[in-house]
Amino acid sequence: MFKNIISNFNRYKFLLYQLISRDFKVKYKRSVLGVLWSLLQPILMMAVMATVFSQMFKFSVPGVNYLVYLMTGIIMFNYFSEATNNAMTSVVMNFTLINKVYIPKYIFPIAKCLFVGINFLLTLIPWLGIIILSHFGLGNYACPFSIWYILLPYIFLCFLMFTVGIGMLVSCVSVFLRDVFYIYGIVLIIWNYLTPVFYSIEIIPPSIRTYFKLNPLYIFLTGVRSIVLFGQRPSLTQLGLMGLIGGTVLLLGLYVFKKKQDKFIYYV
Amino acid sequence: MIRLNNVSMKFNLGIEATSIKETFISLFDKKRRKRKDRNEFWALKNVNFEVKKGEVVGIIGSNGAGKSTTLKIVSGVMKPTEGTVEVDGVISPMIELGAGFDAELTARENIFLNGAILGYSKKFLEQKFDEIVEFSELKDFLDVPIKNFSSGMTAKLAFSIATIVNPEILIVDEILSVGDMRFQEKSKKKMMEMINGGTTVLYVSHSLQSIRDLCSKVIWLEHGQIVMAGKADKVCDAYYKAQTKEA
Repeated sequence: MFKNIISNFNRYKFLLYQLISRDFKVKYKRSVLGVLWSLLQPILMMAVMATVFSQMFKFSVPGVNYLVYLMTGIIMFNYFSEATNNAMTSVVMNFTLINKVYIPKYIFPIAKCLFVGINFLLTLIPWLGIIILSHFGLGNYACPFSIWYILLPYIFLCFLMFTVGIGMLVSCVSVFLRDVFYIYGIVLIIWNYLTPVFYSIEIIPPSIRTYFKLNPLYIFLTGVRSIVLFGQRPSLTQLGLMGLIGGTVLLLGLYVFKKKQDKFIYYV
Repeated sequence: MIRLNNVSMKFNLGIEATSIKETFISLFDKKRRKRKDRNEFWALKNVNFEVKKGEVVGIIGSNGAGKSTTLKIVSGVMKPTEGTVEVDGVISPMIELGAGFDAELTARENIFLNGAILGYSKKFLEQKFDEIVEFSELKDFLDVPIKNFSSGMTAKLAFSIATIVNPEILIVDEILSVGDMRFQEKSKKKMMEMINGGTTVLYVSHSLQSIRDLCSKVIWLEHGQIVMAGKADKVCDAYYKAQTKEA
């Protein structure tokens, strides 16, 4: 099965590239600033969120640069929610295509996760900018530079695998049950509040804190934060756990998708 | 070579989900799913046929006879409910032209997008790009988004992309009449070229004349079953007789 997927993937690499570039072209069509928006949007959004949470609600996390803390949470959670959301609708939206030409259907959710992923990589530029500015008086604390930044690609890769896996699952289920479009939207909002994006896990009562720590998004977030906020390497257990979560969810998503994909045609 | 062994295809007409609970249960519970079989509809029932390499085979039959379903099963878009399909060779499905065209993109961008969807490689498309453009007669409109195209222009572009390959197996669903009269002639000639180039062809049409012109063998489908198969003239005559008698 695995070998099959790889050889199939090679054959449709060009299509994958075309689908992603189509998304880019359509997204920035007729906007003056074009791709610059991928950089500007997170900065502006960050500015709003930072003002709301640190000035109005007086949120802060002791001992760390709250701006960087917040922005890390926002860009990572936004990536996850946008990618899985787009992946979810991708199969249904491309039904006219699926009904006419044979294309491996998994290519649609993957293309969406990668497309949003490229946008995510672009948001890392303003993110790094904020981290550098923390040394010049932005926020109360400077973020230490460390060698452990080299672990970030690994964490992001695991995070991508996790996202693709979830994207496959929701896109598959939503074919059979269109209600999932709405349900998943609510799930994402709840998930957002249950993930320490703008607050610290310390404010959660210790009795239920363990459950919060089981949240995969929390595990990915904590890994990145411990590198950029403290200059610390995530423990090997944590790093292993990320790989395990990413791999398992991806395989689960692929498995369910593969199992059900021949039925899609009757439901869309 | 194409071979269909005892192929049956079932559709569920009442597929609309009745409730969340129902859908979820039927996703996992096979027994319950069987109970819903009241609404089933067999688009194809025990269809057997073989198309040898280089043969040009036509499929005729009234609307809803299962012609398009047959093509979709051969091209791999659908998996048959029962039976097996054996296909040997690279298929170029021309079931519907311009699948995946994005109206926002320009003709140039759509050539690459649609080409990728049809399974062409990047190198191939770059080599054949000029040829596609020339055949489509749309050189002056390459950088115009195709939402501004007329339907005839879009169809011409789609036809030019789809027919640029020399496939081993060609599956055609009534696409000869595209564009203005001159282009129709041109596209018909192109089709003839492809068909006569030793390709295996499966051709669906309502035009008995073009079936007679092109095909050596004809399969007549009705209600998902083969009524008759054999020499083109013989089957076409019988089909024509049956049709006119009903009318």
